[in-house]
Amino acid sequence: MKKQSALTIAGAGLCVMALTLGACGGSGGSDSSAKGTNGGSSNAVISVFNPEPANPLIPSMTNEVGGGNPIDVMFSKLVRFDDKGKPVNEIAKQIKANEDNTQYTVTINDGWKFSDGTPVTAQSFTKAWSWASSIANKQLGSSFFANIKGYDDLQKEGTPSDAQLSGLKVIDNKTFTVDLTSPSSTFPIQVGYTAFAPLPESFYKDTKAFGEKPVTVGPYKFQSWEHNKSIKVVKDPAYKGGVKVKNGGVEFRSYTDATAAYRDVQAGNLDVLDTLPASARKTFQTDNTVQAINDPGSVIQMFTIPSYMKHFGQDQEGKLRRQAISMAIDRPTIIKKVLSGTAKEVHDFTAPVIPGYSTSIKGSDVLKYNPSKAKELWAEANKISPWSEGDTFKIAYNADGAHKEIYDAVTNSIKNALGIQAAGNPLPTFSEFRSNVQNRKFTDSAFRSGWQPDYPSPESYLSSNFASSAANGNGSNDGDYKNPEFDGLMDKAASAKSIDEANKIYQQSEELLFRDLPAVPLYYQNSNGVAAKNVQGFSFNWKGVPAYYNISK
Amino acid sequence: MGKYLLRRILQMIPVVLGTTLLIYALVFALPGDPVAAMFGDKPVNQAVAAQIRSEYNLDKPFIVQYVLFLKNALTLNFGNTFAGQPVISVIGRAFPVTIKLALMAFVFEGVFGVIFGIIGGLTKGKWSDNIILVLSLLLISVPTFVTGFILQYLFGVKWHLLPATAGANPGFIDLLMPAVVLGSVSMASIIRLTRTEITSNISEDYVRTARAKGMSNRSVIVRHVLRNSLIPVVTYLGADIGGLMGGAMITERIFNIQGVGNTLYQAILRGEGTLVVSIVTILVLIFVITSLLVDLLYAVLDPRIRYA
Repeated sequence: MKKQSALTIAGAGLCVMALTLGACGGSGGSDSSAKGTNGGSSNAVISVFNPEPANPLIPSMTNEVGGGNPIDVMFSKLVRFDDKGKPVNEIAKQIKANEDNTQYTVTINDGWKFSDGTPVTAQSFTKAWSWASSIANKQLGSSFFANIKGYDDLQKEGTPSDAQLSGLKVIDNKTFTVDLTSPSSTFPIQVGYTAFAPLPESFYKDTKAFGEKPVTVGPYKFQSWEHNKSIKVVKDPAYKGGVKVKNGGVEFRSYTDATAAYRDVQAGNLDVLDTLPASARKTFQTDNTVQAINDPGSVIQMFTIPSYMKHFGQDQEGKLRRQAISMAIDRPTIIKKVLSGTAKEVHDFTAPVIPGYSTSIKGSDVLKYNPSKAKELWAEANKISPWSEGDTFKIAYNADGAHKEIYDAVTNSIKNALGIQAAGNPLPTFSEFRSNVQNRKFTDSAFRSGWQPDYPSPESYLSSNFASSAANGNGSNDGDYKNPEFDGLMDKAASAKSIDEANKIYQQSEELLFRDLPAVPLYYQNSNGVAAKNVQGFSFNWKGVPAYYNISK
Repeated sequence: MGKYLLRRILQMIPVVLGTTLLIYALVFALPGDPVAAMFGDKPVNQAVAAQIRSEYNLDKPFIVQYVLFLKNALTLNFGNTFAGQPVISVIGRAFPVTIKLALMAFVFEGVFGVIFGIIGGLTKGKWSDNIILVLSLLLISVPTFVTGFILQYLFGVKWHLLPATAGANPGFIDLLMPAVVLGSVSMASIIRLTRTEITSNISEDYVRTARAKGMSNRSVIVRHVLRNSLIPVVTYLGADIGGLMGGAMITERIFNIQGVGNTLYQAILRGEGTLVVSIVTILVLIFVITSLLVDLLYAVLDPRIRYA
C-alpha cells in the first residue's frame, strides 16, 4: 500500500504495495459506541484524502491506495474482514476445502446484483480471475492468482485475452471449484483481497470505459471520477452484505501532498486524512483543531541483512553478527524520540492487529536492547573471521521517504553499542532503491524493508518475505534467505485444518527467524490520521484504512 | 519587421528540438526502472513488465524512443501516461489551472510592484519609501514556501477568510492566496527595480530640460520618467511569465493545485519521459514566445529601437 507519509513503506510519490481492504469491519463493535447518537445525518457525504489513482479503476490493476481505497468500498469480494481482521463470508455462502487444502468449492449467495442490474454468478468470479491472469491484459496484480492451476499457461506470450484458468470450474450458476497447484489454508482469506473482486459481463466489452466508470457491487456504487479532483461514490441501496453504511457517500478528494490535506482538515474543509504528514508527527495528538487517532497497525518496519552480504552469510559468524546488531538497537528510545510515539515496540515478524500475533515467541529477546551481550556476540564472531577497522555496517534506504532520521538513530545506536563504524546509505529515489534491491546490488549493505500485508494472515508476512520459493527474484524474499526447515513449516501450515492451527505453526516458524534474523524487525508502524472536529465514528480497520462506512457527521 | 519576426520564429525550431532531446536524454538517464517501480515493493512479474515496456517503447534504444516520440508529436499524438490516460488530456487539465494562477500572480506583481516602486521612487528617503524598502527586502529574503505556509495557516486555518487549499478547477477566490504567494517575491523585485530606475532617471538631464521648459510635473513624470523607467521592468516581467508557469511547483504543492508544476513533479518521480518532455516543450514554447513579445514591446516603449 502506498501512502505519502514519511514512514510508510513506499517512497513519496511512488506507489507501492498492497491494497487496502476498505469496507470491512462489522456493523456492531466499535461503531455502536461512537458518538453517533445525536446529530449526524445518514445522508452526509464524507470527504476523505486520496492520492490520484495511478491506474484505471480495475481491481486487478490497482496496487496502491489511491485506486485501492475507492475500489474496495465499491466491490464486495467473497469474504470481507471484520474490525479484528477475521474473515467473514460476504458474497460467499460457503468456501469449502478438500482433504489437503488443494481444492476449494465456493458457493455464492443468491440475490447479489451489479450496479447495472446483472446478477453476480460463479462466472463473475472465474472469468474475472482468468482475465487478470492472462498476460495479454498486463495486470499488475496477476501474480495473486499464481497458485491457481493453469496460471503458468496464461502467462505465456501469445495467450489470448479471454483465456480461462484451467483450475477454475463452474459447476452451476452459484457454484465453482478452484484447483490449486499447492495446498493453501489461507486461500479463504486471500479471496478477500481487492484483485479477487467479481466483474460484470459488461467489463469485457470495454475494459477502458470500465476503468474510468466502473460497474460495481458493494456498499457504495460509483458516481463520478473527475481526474485530479475527486472520485465520488454513493451508498448503494441494493447492497446485500454485512456492512452497515452510516453516511450517504464518500468523496475521495485528490491531493498531491498530505500537508495540504492536513491544513484542510484543520480548517474544516476536509473530513478525514489517513496519512500523517511528517510535519505533523510531533503535534497531531495535541492539536485541538482536529481529532487524532494513533492506533496499532499492520505495518512492520525492518531492515534486511541479505545472505549475500560479506560477514553476514547463513553460517555461525553471520548468525552471531545478526543477533549482535539486533541487540545493539535501542528501539524504545528511537520510538519515543524519533518517531514521537507513532509506532509500537516490536515482538514478532507480523503485526499487533493480525490474528496469530504473539508477544512471547521463543528467541524474541534478541529484540531487547542489550549492549553488553551484543558486544560479546560480536567479539565471538570476530574470532571466526575478524571485522576489520575500516569496515562499515551500512543500511540503505530511499531518501525521498523521510527515513533518514530513523536510520541515523539506528546506526548511531549500533555504532555506540558495538564500537564499530555504522552509517545510513541513502539512495535518492524509491525507484532507484528498489531496482538496487531487485538486482541484488546491495552486497555490502543491509537495506530497509517494510511490509504491509495484502490480507490479515501471518502467511502474508512470513511466506512472502522469507520462504525459499520467494527468493532469487521470484517473490519478496529480497535477502535470499533459504532455510528448508522454515519452508517445511510453511508447507505444514498451508495444509493445516484450521486458521488457528495454521497460526500456531506460523509462530513456530518465527522461532527460526529469530535465530537466523534474515531481517531485523525495528517497530510496528501505527495507523494514524486526523479527522475534522464534527466528524463521528472515525476509526481505522486492520489494514490502517479508515472504516469509511462508519463515519458520519 | 517581418523579416525579423520570421527569423525569430525560425530560431525556435532548433531551440525546441534541442531542449526536447536534452530533456528526453535526462529522463532516460534517471536511475531506476519505472516499470519495476509500478509493482512497488511487490515482486515484479517479469512477463507483465516486458509487455508494459513494449507498450511504452521502453524496451527500445534511447534514440529510437526519441525519434518515435517526435514522429508521434508531429501528428499531435503524445501517447498515453502510465495510468492509461492520453498525455494530451493530462496537459489539457493542468495548463488552464496554471495559466489562471500565473496570470493572477502576474497581474498582482505587475500592478503592485510598479505602484509601490513608483511611490518609493518619487518619495525617495521619506518614511513611505523606507517602509516599502523594508517590506520588499523582507519578501525577497523569505522563501516562497515560508510565506505560503504562514499565509495558509493564518488566512485559511486560523481566521477562515480564504480557502486553505485550492483543489481542482479552482476559482478566483481559491487562487487568490496562492497567486499572492507566488507573485510576492517577483513583486518585491519589481518594486526595487522600478524604484531604482525612477530615482536614477529623475535626475537625468532630459528631465531637468523638460522641467525648465515649463512642462507640468505630471507630464514629466508620466511621459519622461515612467516611460524610460519601465523598459527594464517589462523585460523582467516578460522573463517572469515562463518562471511563473513552470516554477509554481512549490506553491502548487502547498495549496494542492493540480497544475503544471505538480504534474511535472509526479511525472519525474514516475520516470514518465513522454509526459515530462511534452510539458517541458510547451513551457519552452511559452518562454520563447513571451521573450519575442517583450522584444517587440521595446520598440513601442523606446522609439529609438527599430527592428529590421
